[in-house]
Amino acid sequence: MNNSKFMDLLERILMPIAEKLNNNRHLTALRDGFLVALPLIIFGSIFVVIANLPFLDQLLSEEAYTAYQNALNPASAATLSIMGLFVIIGIGYKLVEHAGGEGIYGGVVSLAGFLILTPQTVEETSGVIPTASIGAEGLFLGILTAFLGAEVYRFFVNRDWTIKMPAGVPGAVTRSFSALIPIAMTLFLFLIIRILFGLTPFDTVQNFIYTVLQEPLTVLGGGLPATIVAVLLIQLFWFFGLHGQILVNSVLDPIWYTLNNQNLEAFQAGEELPNIVTKQFIDTFIVGIGGSGMTLAVIIGIFLIGRSRQMKQVGRVSAPAGIFNVNEPIIFGLPIIMNPLVLVPWLVAPVVVAVVVYFSMAAGFVPKPAGIIVPWTTPPLLSGFLATGNAWQGAAIQMVSMFIVFFIWWPFLKIMDKQYYESEQQEDAAASKE
Amino acid sequence: MTNILLACSAGMSTSLLVSKMEEAAEAKDMDVRIWAVAQDKAETEMEQADVLLIGPQMRFMKNKYSKTAEKIGIPLDVIDPVAYGRVDGEAVLNKALELIDKK
Repeated sequence: MNNSKFMDLLERILMPIAEKLNNNRHLTALRDGFLVALPLIIFGSIFVVIANLPFLDQLLSEEAYTAYQNALNPASAATLSIMGLFVIIGIGYKLVEHAGGEGIYGGVVSLAGFLILTPQTVEETSGVIPTASIGAEGLFLGILTAFLGAEVYRFFVNRDWTIKMPAGVPGAVTRSFSALIPIAMTLFLFLIIRILFGLTPFDTVQNFIYTVLQEPLTVLGGGLPATIVAVLLIQLFWFFGLHGQILVNSVLDPIWYTLNNQNLEAFQAGEELPNIVTKQFIDTFIVGIGGSGMTLAVIIGIFLIGRSRQMKQVGRVSAPAGIFNVNEPIIFGLPIIMNPLVLVPWLVAPVVVAVVVYFSMAAGFVPKPAGIIVPWTTPPLLSGFLATGNAWQGAAIQMVSMFIVFFIWWPFLKIMDKQYYESEQQEDAAASKE
Repeated sequence: MTNILLACSAGMSTSLLVSKMEEAAEAKDMDVRIWAVAQDKAETEMEQADVLLIGPQMRFMKNKYSKTAEKIGIPLDVIDPVAYGRVDGEAVLNKALELIDKK
């Protein structure tokens, strides 16, 4: 089989996978759910950063520092820490809206269903909801509840078991009644689920989902091998010019966000952070250095060694966007897509960086991500500093990563530049003869 | 006025193209409106557009968008990867106009 046939074959395999992953109804709703929560997540993250500004703990007295943090903490506690609630509303809303129903009812029925399944006692005190249950621990249950709640609600709406209003009743009134039976039936179902689980050793559904699904999946997803597989998949999709990040995110975001919020809880409690791999490990330390494949280092390489016009042109076009981690110009312009010459550095560099960053964090040279969600368009160095809870080592490891990527790419860039340069020389020679 | 809609994952990389396409349109003295949106907004925005162009990295959206585009009666296509990499506003603008003309 020759090269182009092999490429065609891979493309024919990857395209349908990409289409399915991106357009799957539930994964689309999940992505939209996180999008709904994103402004709140960022708001909360900003206040975690402000509450933990460097040197403040030395400038202020211990008492004043605690008071300062206590004053700011509700901002993140009400948003970032309980992001699951907003994701649930977003998923329920989008699923029902997508099916042509009233989205907002899908949102609230999902939220109420989740709260029904949530423990409502803390150490024998009833009438309280543990914040952990609506935080990181509840994210998987929340997502599943939203999927189920929206589907069941839709089912009952479609059965048309609604209360009909006489003509002349205002539309809003009619709608509030038409939602009554589907919502009641859906929530009743969740109540039965809760009661049934109360009879099992798991006691609560939350406990069940956490133990049999969330815990094993997050342990698996938080490990280095799974992370390397994820990184390779992102790179492979992009090699075929498909947006790998969005595809892999749509499956792994629940795991990465859960790991992230576990770290956030520990960070705010001043405890040791449990996870290395989190949403920020991927977004800030792997992808966030110019975009997937850490292409900002490649652009710098082009500026340092590029002699051909084509390379210089690609560098100039790609650099401004690359600083903000948008890298389509270099991916399609160099080109990286379908270019066998760059396949090796393209696949190897991010994996090497992932391993180096992982072990730097495991060894304690670099603080683990603090659970602060840094927008993916934040330029590298700044993003590393913020993601580690204002630690300079976070920026330093991004610098190291850039050197690694640069050195892995260097020989390949040289070869490519030489090829372009020689063909340009020939073109020029031919042009001057005419 | 010609309305050209671009779509990609977050509307970021296509927005790079927008300004280049606007420059190209200005050079031709054309009256156009060009804007870029994220993938989830594309279907609602399509109603105001005369043509939809999809970023090549999101070309797996073409089938999905085709249904809506057909309903509204506008043409759509995936942007040529080479033009996309060069952020070649003129080439993409010409492609958009060609698609509208063919319709």
